[in-house]
Amino acid sequence: MKKIAGILIAIAAVIGATIIINGCAATQMVIAKTGTQLWGENCIRCHNAPPSSDYSSAQWETIGMHMKLRANLTDDETNKIVAFLKSTD
Amino acid sequence: MKLPKLLFIVALLIVFSTGYAQDSTLIEKNLKILSAIPGNTKMVLTGVAWFGFQSTFNDPVKTDVTNSFNSYGFSPMFLWKLSDKMFFESEIEINNGAMELEFAKLSFSLNKYMTIGAGRMLTPFGAYGERWEPIHIERFPNSHLLPDDNLLPDDTHLYYGAIMGVDIRGGIPLGSSKMNYSLYVSNGPLLSKDENGNPTGVIQYENLLDENNNNKEVGGRIGILPFSNSSLEIGFSEKHGIAGDRGNPVYGKTGATAYAVDLSYVKSIDAIKSTINIRGQFNSLKVDKANYYLTDSTNYTFDNTMQNYFVQFSLRPSMSRNKYLKKTELLFRYNALTPPKDALWGAKDNNGNGGTITRMDVGLDYWLSWKTGLRFAYESTAFPNGTKAKEFLASLVYGF
Repeated sequence: MKKIAGILIAIAAVIGATIIINGCAATQMVIAKTGTQLWGENCIRCHNAPPSSDYSSAQWETIGMHMKLRANLTDDETNKIVAFLKSTD
Repeated sequence: MKLPKLLFIVALLIVFSTGYAQDSTLIEKNLKILSAIPGNTKMVLTGVAWFGFQSTFNDPVKTDVTNSFNSYGFSPMFLWKLSDKMFFESEIEINNGAMELEFAKLSFSLNKYMTIGAGRMLTPFGAYGERWEPIHIERFPNSHLLPDDNLLPDDTHLYYGAIMGVDIRGGIPLGSSKMNYSLYVSNGPLLSKDENGNPTGVIQYENLLDENNNNKEVGGRIGILPFSNSSLEIGFSEKHGIAGDRGNPVYGKTGATAYAVDLSYVKSIDAIKSTINIRGQFNSLKVDKANYYLTDSTNYTFDNTMQNYFVQFSLRPSMSRNKYLKKTELLFRYNALTPPKDALWGAKDNNGNGGTITRMDVGLDYWLSWKTGLRFAYESTAFPNGTKAKEFLASLVYGF
């Protein structure tokens, strides 16, 4: 039980420190990121980055929902990445 | 295995894969035609197929060298956007002739930061099961050293496989960092039993129909991405459930608690014209103390703690000007599994003491597209009794 409490406290401390250091809202630097940047940064976290030509615009909308859930992307990231992929389709 | 045979198999895999390039243009055209069909729901059929070869040397069980085309499979995934807020996804896996529903999950977006989901879903514990296990994402021809029935009396599905339940999840920006979370309630684990119906102490997490008790498992994962470029993610996971059968006087309250820590770091480095990918996960499972009965009516107990982990590193010269070099990826992986030391079914050294099974893998991928590639690996597994199993593995993974 003590171990569980210790681990939970450690996790809470990490999250708390991150929130205190960064605040809750996204910074201007993050808000200003383009869909291209976000596609390059996030898609390669697990798999190779897919080219936009692999799927149609309608398919990218569906795939975007799937990736938002699987990778736990933020809402803003998902919308920008999908918009980028649709624009270059 | 002799070199000429090995080269022949490599050549076969290359011949199969060259067909991909010729058909890709036709596939693109058909996908565009399908997307023009009117309607409010949008469906995508995607997935992956695979075919593998294995050659075993110095197998401690067998005395002969074994060479075989040992794996084939096809895994279609169905994605439906039902509305801007509602989404359904499902995957079937047909592996070596056996078909299984991997997941079937309906999700509804409550707001920007929270989506609720229900159904059969990939285990939201650690990063491996949801994100790294899919065969087109796993860089090696095989998975890392898993706590499954190759090394234990049963599969545990501790951090891979599926659960049946409800989850909430989302991603939240935190200044220049971000975090994500997945929290769930599901049918709980059960105590795996031997051929006489006696629990062995192994926990089976893929208890989808919950036929053993009314208790539910609670768990989840929190991920932190401290850098604004999302290159580093650290995840913490925990889950707890009662595994014993309801009303059983011996095991009715036997619970199991597991923890996991996962890490991934992916960075393109211009100085070496390459992308490095580091990932790993540490898992620990603790089962409440209980007596386990043997066929001769004697019983014993042990500290039922099991740990396993893997660490994987890859380097791909993705920014190289050489069109062949930029498609290669060098891989290295280290794995370790420590079953409960005093469990009769745990790996033992020559003195009967429990020990750790370790494995080292070295591999090379050649990517034909972002989802299709050839994979080659050499792995050496070391057992506590001093024996070693060495294998050469090759596979073709074809994504669509």
